[in-house]
Amino acid sequence: MNEEKKNKRTNMTKLKNIALALAFVPSALIAQERFATRNGHIHFFSGTAVENIEADNNKVTSVFDATSGAIEFAALVKAFEFEKALMQEHFNENYMESNTFPKATFKGKVSGLSAEQAKIPGTYAVEVTGDLTIHGVSKPVTTKGTMTVEAGGVIKAKSEFSVKPEDHGIEIPGVVRKNIAETIKISVDLAYAKM
Amino acid sequence: MKRSMMIALAAAALLAGGGTYAYMEYSRGTARADEMPVAQQLSAAELLQAFQNDEQAATKTYVGATEQVVQVSGSIRSMEPVGADKTNVVLETGDQLAAVVCEFDNKDLPIDWRSGAQVNVKGICTGLLMDVVLVRCVAAQ
Repeated sequence: MNEEKKNKRTNMTKLKNIALALAFVPSALIAQERFATRNGHIHFFSGTAVENIEADNNKVTSVFDATSGAIEFAALVKAFEFEKALMQEHFNENYMESNTFPKATFKGKVSGLSAEQAKIPGTYAVEVTGDLTIHGVSKPVTTKGTMTVEAGGVIKAKSEFSVKPEDHGIEIPGVVRKNIAETIKISVDLAYAKM
Repeated sequence: MKRSMMIALAAAALLAGGGTYAYMEYSRGTARADEMPVAQQLSAAELLQAFQNDEQAATKTYVGATEQVVQVSGSIRSMEPVGADKTNVVLETGDQLAAVVCEFDNKDLPIDWRSGAQVNVKGICTGLLMDVVLVRCVAAQ
């Protein structure tokens, strides 16, 4: 009788273990195809006859899911670093209003790199489509880029696109309008590691 | 005549002074963390906890309306090169998924810092993404 109880308990434990294993299989599979970085680089450049304004942010966080193509970015506005303090102050206080809108984000999809291709080293031309939120205003963006799959689960991604400050509700006073380009060139450079 | 000459000289001096000030202000570089007073001092674990508990309140306290220096203490979890001239010093927080990341110019990074070392860092706190991010960091005593 005791033996029977013991067998029943063992079977139940086995069933529980199998159920647990099955529950974790999908997430394990997804995890294999997810890539992330905390050290992504964004450079922006505004070039006019009056002056060039540029800044770098090396702390961009991004997650890319090769299975679904989903991609997300987030950057702290105050982490953009300028050569000149005055430009940085104006950028944060007058234009980006970073105390009110501390983050810039992008949420979209990548096409041109499948989950299978993400395992095969090579450089792939991709297209990224999604919503870019700057200064609390979201706008659709479509851009082209490259994703280079390297050995060891590293994917390097590069892209360039342009943004108009006015599209995101950023007002440029007339007195400095000639100092700031109509369109700001944004360069993105990321090295994802497998999660 | 003498009086008008003096007024002209004074105006020229004012213009030159104003112009010099304007140029210096325009050219002023961003301040290093060790050139500013420390506004807040706490451990890396406490800083992360503050952001995880209430990001908005922590942003107000540690990021502030204008740049301010936060001094954090902790042990180095890892050191990661960022491009050619910067290094991230990642401070342990007790949370495996999040840390306090301090970005150093390589010229400001002490050469004897290694993973596991207990360190004090001054930096400009910029907020929380996955980690709390400090930029323009320098070593503190």
